[in-house]
Amino acid sequence: MKTARIGAIGVAAAMTMFVVLLLRTDGDAGVGARSPLLGQPAPAVITTTIDDRSFDLTRRKGSWVVFNFFNSTCVPCIAEHPALLSFVAKEAARSDGVEMYTVVNDDADDAVRAFFAANGGDWPKLRDSDGAIAVAFGVAKVPETWIIDPNGFVRLRIMGSVVEGVLEDQMASLRASE
Amino acid sequence: METRRTRSVRRVVWGGIALVTIAALSFGSLRDAGPLTQQDRIDSVTKRIACPTCDGESVFVSRASAAQAIRAEVARQVGDGVRSDDEIVAYIADRFGGEVLLVPRGEGLDALIWVLPVLVSVVLIIGLAAAFRRWRRVEPVAPSRRRSWMVGVGVAIVVGVGGGVLVARQAGQRLPLQTATGGIEDSTASLLAQARLAGGADVTSAIELYGRVLETDPDNVEALTYRAWLIMLSARQFDESLRNQAYASTITALGRAIELDPGYPDAMCFLGIVVFRDGGDAASAKEFVDRCLDREPPAEVRGLVEALKKEVDDVLGE
Repeated sequence: MKTARIGAIGVAAAMTMFVVLLLRTDGDAGVGARSPLLGQPAPAVITTTIDDRSFDLTRRKGSWVVFNFFNSTCVPCIAEHPALLSFVAKEAARSDGVEMYTVVNDDADDAVRAFFAANGGDWPKLRDSDGAIAVAFGVAKVPETWIIDPNGFVRLRIMGSVVEGVLEDQMASLRASE
Repeated sequence: METRRTRSVRRVVWGGIALVTIAALSFGSLRDAGPLTQQDRIDSVTKRIACPTCDGESVFVSRASAAQAIRAEVARQVGDGVRSDDEIVAYIADRFGGEVLLVPRGEGLDALIWVLPVLVSVVLIIGLAAAFRRWRRVEPVAPSRRRSWMVGVGVAIVVGVGGGVLVARQAGQRLPLQTATGGIEDSTASLLAQARLAGGADVTSAIELYGRVLETDPDNVEALTYRAWLIMLSARQFDESLRNQAYASTITALGRAIELDPGYPDAMCFLGIVVFRDGGDAASAKEFVDRCLDREPPAEVRGLVEALKKEVDDVLGE
């Protein structure tokens, strides 16, 4: 009888610990998504823009950098575009405003040019022809938005569309934590 | 009736069978499969990685664009010849998370996949053996026997967990980059990141960290530029002779950085600032500052240079 009780208590304790462990490993809720890169130096990104200008992420240290992984045929990418335009317009007024870059994912230069000509957005668009940048950041589906701080550390990952005001709020809290 | 000799012979036979089995299994799992071609390596690595956007397919078989990108990355890294297969798998798992590993890791929570079956098997075998022994007996279990039964359960758990851990270590995915085997590229990036963080608060450490980067990579433009800049800033509090020495070495280092990468704005910007503040040469400073602003410097550096530009223009009377 006593042994059975001890056994039951042991099983209950083990199950409770297991549930607590699962809850802890499931991460926290909120806008930001999990990534092993958070808090780590950003991966090397050396590429060209669709206008054939060279780009090296290490040369952008000293600025907040936002990467938006994009494809012109992806519906959520199209849906979030007005929010990105509004965010970039607000940031342009700041002396420490972010540098926005679109990372073209599995798409043709001409299609990207046509999309931005029709919908606005004059920030640089980076080529990722073989998907190396997407793999380096662990991006499997677009859209995704990443924020890198002026020291070159990855600070935030947002999976899926961003809605109006989200990036502004996230940048405000990131700047406050600096 | 079984004699002692027959029993000994039987034990020797069973021992021999166990020995041969262990030897054969060890040989089978540890033998070297011989050199692989690059394509073999690419295939073998991509078979170990799950496609992150599709269910139940490896990167090797999937046609999804994310899988194609991973395959291209694996091919590039195999071609580079810098990372081993395990390190390439670790690189992908670092980016996409452990979920993409088709062979689970032998550490952390994933290790339960390896440990639990062994533990359960050992406990079941010992439990069955105990049950058979009990069924053969008719007399009730004495208290001393109960104690030995509990010891048996303890032994079963220890053996099961120990065996499971061994299996996990042998069969589980190992991720070298999560331990201590990062390449030079990773070390340089890490040192630069640490230097960058230290820069504002602890200039001495930052200078030392940039110096360490230059030991392994003497042409690292960022390290050349920022080490020179910080040395000049530190020297301003010392006497003139030390300042002159620092000035000369800073101009040389910034010049070298610009020579290596003429498009790097930070080196050009710092050169303009140093030439004006420490060299008193407004005309040269103006040229460097204008070139710096043409190169679209990052926000932090731009702020410094824009403030300086007004002073330079005032001195030149523009």
